[in-house]
Amino acid sequence: MERLKAVIVKEFIHIRRDPRSLVIIFALPLVMIFIFGHVLSFDLKKIETLIIDLDRSPLSRDLITRFAAAPLYKIYSLENQGHAEKRAAAAQDYLQSAERWLRQGKIKQYLIIPRDFSRRLAANFPSPVAVVIDGADANVATRLYQYNERIFKSFFFPTKSIEMPFEVKIKMFFNPEIASTPFIIPGLVAALMLMISALLTSLSLAREKETGSIELLFISPLRSPDIILGKTIPYLLVALIVGLVIFLFSHFFFGLQVHGSPLVLFLTAVIYILTGLSLGILISTVAPTQKVAMLVALLGTILPSIFLSGFIFPLESLSPALRAFSYLVPATYFLRILRSLTLKGASLRHFLFEASVLLAISLFLLALAIRKFSTLRRASA
Amino acid sequence: MLFIAPVIQTIILGYVVRTDITNIPIGIINLSSSLESHRLLNRLASSALFKIKLVSSSPVNAEEIFRRGKCKALIIFRDKFQSPPEGNNFFAGWPEIQVLLDGTDANSAMIAAGYFYGLLGHYLETKIRHSGQEILLQPKTIIRFNPSLRSIHTMGPAIVALLLTIITLLLTGIGLVREKEQQTLDTLLVSKLTPLEIFLGKTLPMATIALIEMTLGIIVVRLVFGVRPRGNLAFLYLAAVVFLFSLLSIGFLISLLSQTQQQALFFCWFTMLLFLMLSGLLTPLENIPAAFRWLTAINPLRYLIAIIREIFLKGNNLAYFYQDILIMAGLGFVAFLFSLSVFRRSVIK
Repeated sequence: MERLKAVIVKEFIHIRRDPRSLVIIFALPLVMIFIFGHVLSFDLKKIETLIIDLDRSPLSRDLITRFAAAPLYKIYSLENQGHAEKRAAAAQDYLQSAERWLRQGKIKQYLIIPRDFSRRLAANFPSPVAVVIDGADANVATRLYQYNERIFKSFFFPTKSIEMPFEVKIKMFFNPEIASTPFIIPGLVAALMLMISALLTSLSLAREKETGSIELLFISPLRSPDIILGKTIPYLLVALIVGLVIFLFSHFFFGLQVHGSPLVLFLTAVIYILTGLSLGILISTVAPTQKVAMLVALLGTILPSIFLSGFIFPLESLSPALRAFSYLVPATYFLRILRSLTLKGASLRHFLFEASVLLAISLFLLALAIRKFSTLRRASA
Repeated sequence: MLFIAPVIQTIILGYVVRTDITNIPIGIINLSSSLESHRLLNRLASSALFKIKLVSSSPVNAEEIFRRGKCKALIIFRDKFQSPPEGNNFFAGWPEIQVLLDGTDANSAMIAAGYFYGLLGHYLETKIRHSGQEILLQPKTIIRFNPSLRSIHTMGPAIVALLLTIITLLLTGIGLVREKEQQTLDTLLVSKLTPLEIFLGKTLPMATIALIEMTLGIIVVRLVFGVRPRGNLAFLYLAAVVFLFSLLSIGFLISLLSQTQQQALFFCWFTMLLFLMLSGLLTPLENIPAAFRWLTAINPLRYLIAIIREIFLKGNNLAYFYQDILIMAGLGFVAFLFSLSVFRRSVIK
């Protein structure tokens, strides 16, 4: 215990001697939360849509109004005017420009209402409407397609002799305004906290390897667990304070609320941070240089925490193999805890499982780091 | 390590983004004994979009189910009390439908609702056709550039750009810092090399490695996911070289401003996340608040990803994106001049 304390005190002195790094460690995550909280959103709004109306009838204008009323679209409409021959030539022009704008990305989709649209509908005869969507962003295109269909259906049912027989009522639980911020902010906090804690410890031993001071540690009377834990624990405090600041910041700027018990949040956060630190210290023990440690730490935390944790891509949609992989990503568990706590107000028993898995992962990583360190030590002796 | 890691990551991330949203866990509460609710239930069960986790014929506590995270949506069929309005017996015997959504993941929830609407609409259309009536408005949708709407086509090549960014930025970012830490920078400074020569010497090897990595990445998305470019790859290499110039200048700047490798690590991490999150790869850029729009305008990765999509999916030629390339070059030039001036100042010291 005495030895462990000595290592911890020494590490704290190191941290205190480098105030510039400390400022960077605190400031950068805050800047990120501030920017990303404002910028990241899945909502689609004002999608540039061109409607080429060759019919120019009250019915076709009614359809355009329905599109214009939805906040999803920003409507530009082209109407045909003038004599019949001129109109045919202009229609050709419109099509060519529409194609060009779609290719340039100036519009995301265009609709063509054919010339005999209202005449056919009035005669109870089916009429097509052409829709051309830019599929380059598959997600946006899918959602546009779905939304278009809904508008078309709202248009055709009331004009038919049959009334829409029922209304599908939608009720959204926990997040009635359907905002994506309450969903994104917890994900952001979870991803950032893991990255920060892993980055904090990932260089410590690798640095000592580069400067050669690791030899001093090897021949010291300190036991390997003392060294590994002593190099980890001080950063638990640093990362916790960073986490707390991030949390308060998200609370005041983005309305992040804790509905469950704050104590539960604190306990799970400590475990989660420990997981990140353990991952970092393991990387640091294995990597021969700081450069390698950094590459592993960045590639190993940024991409899994963003892509495989459920932060952006829902886990249900992953293939079974990747799903299994996502269970190895610590952010997956804390994300679930944090989202439950902030949106649903669940209590500890709901995620006892997640907390224990995180604890198990940390202990496993720490044990691995200690073992690896002992091996290195024996090899150098 | 430098070459294998990107290949593996491209494959894994490719599989992640290839998965379009399917298998949404839902529950069905059927309180209706009608034929229609039974048929709709079968429709839902046979769709790959949903995975039915719960079927019940008695009321349930929706909030508790959502809290446990078992289902993301609940669909409730209930018999109507009123008989349908006069002269409209087409939908006689239809149940009332209610959709309850778990808003925690608002995005998936809305997609689930969208799928359900689609399914219902399709079902109604078939019913109407069967009854001998005609559907009057018939939208015909054509999806340009990516007709199958597979997201791997949208994301795959962009992931290559992402990995390129992470590796090159980090390696140049720590380039000079290591020399500072090991006190070899002074040797470099008193040598007869000009700042430009030092910049080129530090970054050219990285640029070569990055281009090889990009080639590997393109081969991987082609072989593993069958994504092939429609346009000319020569334009992509041109764009990549300009992109690398801007990225390496930024990396060089980071390495000048950092005193320790740890600081460089945190700066690189910050820059990478900023570039990634504001690139349009993960979320649409259209509705970014005006106050933050300039951040996307100075993000070189955003331009590269836009160009990649134009080349891979639209098959556009240089005329469509030369402006993007010029902007990237401009950004690179500003970062380059700035880092040179910082460098000169540190030489004088």
